[in-house]
Amino acid sequence: MIAQTEYSKEKKVGEGTYAVVYVGTKLSNERRIAIKEIKTSGFKDGLDMSAIREVKYLQEMQHVNVIELVDVFMAQKNLNLVLEFLPADLEMIIKDTSILFTQADIKSWLLMTLRGVHHCHRNFILHRDLKPNNLLLAPDGQLKLADFGLARNMGSPQDFLTSNVVTRWYRAPELLFGARHYTGAVDIWSVGIIFAELMLRIPYLPGKDDIDQIDVTFRALGTPTDRDWPEISTFGTYNKIQVYPPPSREELRRRFIAATENALNLMCGMLTMNPHKRFDPTQCLTSEYFVELPEPTTPSELPKLTPK
Amino acid sequence: MTTSINETAAQKTAVPSSIRITDDDLYRHSTQYRIWSFTPERLTQIRTEINARAGAKVEEELKNFFASHLDLSPEEKEAVKSKAVPVTTHEELLLVNYFARMILSFAGKMNLPTEVAATAVAFFRRFFLSNSILDFPPKEVFHTSLFFACKTENYFIGVESFAKKAKTTTEAILKHEFKLLESLNFTLMNHHPYKALHGFFLDIQNVLSSRVDMSYMGQVYTNCKRSISDALLTDAVYFYTPPQITLAILLMEDEALMMRYMQLKFGLQVEDEEAKVQSTQDADSQSPITINAAKLLEVIKSCKSVIENKIIPAKDDAVKITAKMHYCQKPMAVVQRMKRQREASSTAATPLPGEADAKKQKT
Repeated sequence: MIAQTEYSKEKKVGEGTYAVVYVGTKLSNERRIAIKEIKTSGFKDGLDMSAIREVKYLQEMQHVNVIELVDVFMAQKNLNLVLEFLPADLEMIIKDTSILFTQADIKSWLLMTLRGVHHCHRNFILHRDLKPNNLLLAPDGQLKLADFGLARNMGSPQDFLTSNVVTRWYRAPELLFGARHYTGAVDIWSVGIIFAELMLRIPYLPGKDDIDQIDVTFRALGTPTDRDWPEISTFGTYNKIQVYPPPSREELRRRFIAATENALNLMCGMLTMNPHKRFDPTQCLTSEYFVELPEPTTPSELPKLTPK
Repeated sequence: MTTSINETAAQKTAVPSSIRITDDDLYRHSTQYRIWSFTPERLTQIRTEINARAGAKVEEELKNFFASHLDLSPEEKEAVKSKAVPVTTHEELLLVNYFARMILSFAGKMNLPTEVAATAVAFFRRFFLSNSILDFPPKEVFHTSLFFACKTENYFIGVESFAKKAKTTTEAILKHEFKLLESLNFTLMNHHPYKALHGFFLDIQNVLSSRVDMSYMGQVYTNCKRSISDALLTDAVYFYTPPQITLAILLMEDEALMMRYMQLKFGLQVEDEEAKVQSTQDADSQSPITINAAKLLEVIKSCKSVIENKIIPAKDDAVKITAKMHYCQKPMAVVQRMKRQREASSTAATPLPGEADAKKQKT
């Protein structure tokens, strides 16, 4: 067992339903770290599932665009996850109106996000809760996927999965329809929505509730037909929804005013209704968008939060 | 599946695009490989050390016992010395295996998914790679492993309904959960051979296409699935990767089929001239595979012999070992039993030595 005296807890920075987060220092090398203390009392079923998932998946991944689990230890019957210290997230940056960012900056964040997602998927891990708030930013500008509390293995084809995953605005159409079988395509959809949000600086599809989310999604992107998605009629709710035409290219150009044709191609690839036809991480990473100018901003030169 | 992370303009300058991360590289980063794979020598050493540590503790406690019970008669002393003997490394292994096997059948009775059962077995066996059965009786960790495996494999069952199904208490299930997590080194991901089996099952049909009978392949698949569960109780899981174990099991199931597959898939050279010609032809049509087929076969055969070398502990062994553990923990029980025997000696037949107390210990 690792002694907790290896780390100091300095300041409480957050509290969720199942954990308290502290900022601290690893004493041996003065490294800044975050300690997520998992509350254990009050959980009658023993260790909480989110904590288990987080430990399980983060232990397997070492990638510059996935948050590093530095250590795990027990102290006073509490489970402590020592994570790398990441002071900001993409949501803060998007919302901070004093920050201006360029197309090259967006490209850089998107690239780092996709690399992280690619690494998860190569390890057969679905994140299932991608949103700007879970894309953390390191002091050196690197973006890291965080919060694996909803992650799971890509199941065997016959496994039943729950469709009640991903924060509503970032939820893929198959999840909105309640699919019990889905793939990494759900993560790609979320990234597509994040891409749109980076360009618009406001949430792209902010549904008020689960029903409204279906309406908002298809009003913006068109209701899928069984021609582009043959299995769609097997979803019970499909027949009850309003049919909207897909947006014309011109409408998309007007909405995403600064986007290049390649940027729109990539976004549309990620926001393809049929999950089988949606881009996979490799298709995204090799898209023309990342080859054309401007080059993505070097992480260390990306805009940062202005100190308050 | 593609194995490349296609580098973009920005990265091309920093990293040569020829560097590709293979699936083998990914496996080598898994905790199953980094933390839970051993050489046979290292594994033996770990087990010997755990046993020696626990044994020394028992000896120490016995010494204290004799020091604080000076009123024992010489016969009683002798009896304690002969009964309260620390278990050997081999006995620890036997009892752990005995219970690990029980986890599989128990999980079957509870209708739990195969992967959950496999993970429970892995957790349970790993637990005893850092703890001795003298410190944690296996039956106390048995349910904990199964319950915890349900949670880590995303097959959540509330502790209360689990306890009801398993006919135990919630306290008993949760008592060692933290200890289990800690003993597992906080690593919870398991890669079992079942996925590899499914992959090979599909690929064999693909590579041998018209030459295999579908319903026969179905039978092979079912048999192999059962054999994999059996292999999870052997040390093969510590020495070999899931696909290696799968290939070994397929080889045990149908050697001719597998040799044929390996010729065509990996270009394995064989004595039979006709087959040789065939194999090179077919190998050409496949994507180039850089696997050394002869070496692979050698690895699979050695894996096969580890799997075949399985230990199936008899119930008698488990009872005897449990009795020893019991007397080590409670030397006074030996004395009390002698007294009872003396009192009963004139009346009825006495139970066999070791049996009476041991029975109370069984699950």
